[in-house]
Amino acid sequence: MSGLFDEPFEDAPLSREEAAPVRPRRRVVSVSEVTTQIRNALESGFDELWIEGEISNCRVWNTGHVYFTLKDSAAQLKGVMFRSAYRYLKFKLEDGLHVVARGRLSVYEPKGEYQLVCEHMEPHGVGALQLAFDQLKGKLQAEGLFAADRKRPIPALPRKIGIVTSLDGAALRDILKVLGRRHPNAHIVIRPVRVQGDGAGDDIARALKALANVTGVEVIIVGRGGGSIEDLWAFNEEALARTIAACPVPVISAVGHEVDVTIADFVADLRAPTPSAAAEMVVTAKEEFCARIDRLHGRLDAAMRGNIQRRRNVLHALTSRRGLAGWHVRVAMQGRHISELTHALRRAASSLVARRSREHQARAVRLESRDVRRSLAAMRARLAAADSRLHVTAGRVQERAAARLTALAGRLDTLSPLAVLARGYAVCWNADRTAIVRRASAVTPGDVVRVTLHEGEIDCEVRSAHGSDN
Amino acid sequence: MDPTIKDFESASAELEAIVKKMEEGDLTLEKALELYERGVQLSRFCHARLEEAERRLEILNERGEIRPAHAAMGLTPPDDSGKSR
Repeated sequence: MSGLFDEPFEDAPLSREEAAPVRPRRRVVSVSEVTTQIRNALESGFDELWIEGEISNCRVWNTGHVYFTLKDSAAQLKGVMFRSAYRYLKFKLEDGLHVVARGRLSVYEPKGEYQLVCEHMEPHGVGALQLAFDQLKGKLQAEGLFAADRKRPIPALPRKIGIVTSLDGAALRDILKVLGRRHPNAHIVIRPVRVQGDGAGDDIARALKALANVTGVEVIIVGRGGGSIEDLWAFNEEALARTIAACPVPVISAVGHEVDVTIADFVADLRAPTPSAAAEMVVTAKEEFCARIDRLHGRLDAAMRGNIQRRRNVLHALTSRRGLAGWHVRVAMQGRHISELTHALRRAASSLVARRSREHQARAVRLESRDVRRSLAAMRARLAAADSRLHVTAGRVQERAAARLTALAGRLDTLSPLAVLARGYAVCWNADRTAIVRRASAVTPGDVVRVTLHEGEIDCEVRSAHGSDN
Repeated sequence: MDPTIKDFESASAELEAIVKKMEEGDLTLEKALELYERGVQLSRFCHARLEEAERRLEILNERGEIRPAHAAMGLTPPDDSGKSR
């Protein structure tokens, strides 16, 4: 170094000839040339590097390339990740992310900047897929796609059940097994699809759209069996999540095992812990509906029996008192039909009486005093006959009404499940009496069932169950 | 079936309404019987709908065609697999 300071004094005598530096011939180079040399030195001087740091100033250009600065507490390094490499990243680069970047150093000559040309990046600490999962989950949640009020109920009685899954997977076997056992009449439409590998998420989304358009498909189960996070990845892709959210038909997600949670689960209308459970959910809805119809039918019968019983009481009171005055008052309660008959009868009777009395009047005037008593007696007799005919007709109408009521009540008895119980049959319910036990396979030894008899109910414990399908 | 019954949902809703009306009481016998018969009809329709769904297993392929599954894919329909066990 000290030699440099000696140089300006050119005329000074050189104390040591051999120590004087040999002045190199001046060589001028362009900025480009030196930059190229620097670049060559950098590119050959460093092998591929793994560099750990924090992302800042991250910007995605519309060319698809991403520019960022990698920094730690003491230094910064500019970096670029070209579109060709960036599109393979599952997660999105964002400021503040702690990453490990793999790449080579190079120089961006127009700006004289050295930078890292990044070929791959991994989040530091968490796995790349986990990070991508968290990022997408946060994003969709912020958009409200997981909101509870977006969830639609699963229809009780889907005309057709759609299934989107792989044809040779365990998921399909499990679903078909459950549906076959508990709802053998189900109409199922399967849309086979690849459930893992590149592009599987898009395939599943397309399959879902196609199946939702099939007439009568009113619920769709989408899922697959268990696997690693990589295997299940298709169900964490944004395109599939958005398709599920937009699906015109309620979607049940059934991915992997109970512990596997995917983005599809959050956005689906119902999350089933396993494919078998998804099938159970569809069937349970149907069984609940069955029980509801049974309850309604029971109430319908009870209401009708009550109505009939009230009328029987009225009829009984009526038949035990034959007085005409009480008769038409009660008959009026039996309905319009009968009361109209009564009206007609009474009108006929009174007009008959009126006509007869007019005739009588005329004859009485004509006959004057001639045999008045005999004529009057004849008139009285005819009036009495008319009166008794009125009685007989009224009695017949009443009998017809009674016979009709009995016939209708008899018909009601044959329709009623209570009549069946009276014949010695019994109904077996589950312990809390919310569903009827139709199959031995629905109970296991130790279960308590309730049995409804003609009179009263008993609780029973199942000792063993023998079913046709065991 | 009865052309006045549209589908399961409307049938069960109508049945519910009839039961309420009958439980509220004071109907003429004619009206009560009429409602009761309608109610029984609706209840039967609902049960029939619950039990009589067509048992079918189909595949929707890439071209949008629907084919019976056992023929197209060699799968056993669910009712058979259920009974064989």
